[in-house]
Amino acid sequence: MTSPPERHELADELVVVRCQLGESAAFDELVRRWSAPLYRYALKLAGEAELARDLSQDVWLRAIRGLPRLLDPAQFRPWLFGIAHRCFMDRLRSRYAIAVDNDTDPDALGALAIDADEELLHQSLERGLAALPLLEREVLTLFYLESLPLAEISTVLQIPTGTVKSRLFRARKLLRQLVVNPEQEDDR
Amino acid sequence: MTDSSFVTLQQELQQLTTRTLSPSARYGHVALLLASALMCAVLASLLATETALPGRTQLAFAVLLVIGTSWLAYALWVLRSRHSLLANQRIVAGRMAVAFTSVFVAGALLLGAVTGRALFPVAAAFGGSLLVLACLALQQAHRRADALRARRSELERMIGAQS
Repeated sequence: MTSPPERHELADELVVVRCQLGESAAFDELVRRWSAPLYRYALKLAGEAELARDLSQDVWLRAIRGLPRLLDPAQFRPWLFGIAHRCFMDRLRSRYAIAVDNDTDPDALGALAIDADEELLHQSLERGLAALPLLEREVLTLFYLESLPLAEISTVLQIPTGTVKSRLFRARKLLRQLVVNPEQEDDR
Repeated sequence: MTDSSFVTLQQELQQLTTRTLSPSARYGHVALLLASALMCAVLASLLATETALPGRTQLAFAVLLVIGTSWLAYALWVLRSRHSLLANQRIVAGRMAVAFTSVFVAGALLLGAVTGRALFPVAAAFGGSLLVLACLALQQAHRRADALRARRSELERMIGAQS
């Protein structure tokens, strides 16, 4: 049984409905609500402020053009991040030839291990996240930073929920190896 | 990202939204769609009724019909992919379509009655088909807007109940 939607989810949907009706003031509210999560997601993927900014605009343009065709306004969040995912993948592949590596060896990444001093844990996590392969970085960003449930991540990435779970598991494992000093673990 | 640069990004997205949603471009393409559809109706009527015209004239009409159909397809593509209409804009576009096609049908019927030429009743028939399509589009637009308004009221009530 699904729980009733929370107030912020209802408010998000209300803004989308008002936009679809054609209320121009609602579009300002839509920008205020979604520009930060969109930019954050773009930045995590692109790793570069200017590129993230450029991609955010590209995604926003596509979203505004497609908004009248969105059938279920409650699905705006996975729909928007789905556009972002496709847009980023297209741009990153074509323009920067960044490899979307699905077969990264966790052991090989151990060499990139980052000190996990308690005071620096947050920074280490940030650096570890930035060092992850694109697919793992993306799934962790959507799950932990944007708080998307598994079903919505499945919609965004257009992969089955089971694959989302396994990718999350793998991403956490890789991140742990990047954050925790492997030598300390070996000594135990 | 600093606060000021984030505010700039927000402003850029707002400007992008305003530019993208410009109603003039949308209604311009609606007008293009209607004009090309009515032009096609006239040309198709001419080809169907004026069989005594010279071959080269008929060929010229056929070429014009192809051009009109291309404009029609282009306007449809733009309205579908680049300038999709929001609910309120769909109602305005539907009303434009009903008004344009009604005037066309009335004009064709009037000219048919005055001149007695076969061209005009055929053009009125084509126009009548377009008028039916326009009425259906307007009805769908109202239905969609009503559904969205009902959902808006429901959401406002639910949010009010939670606060």
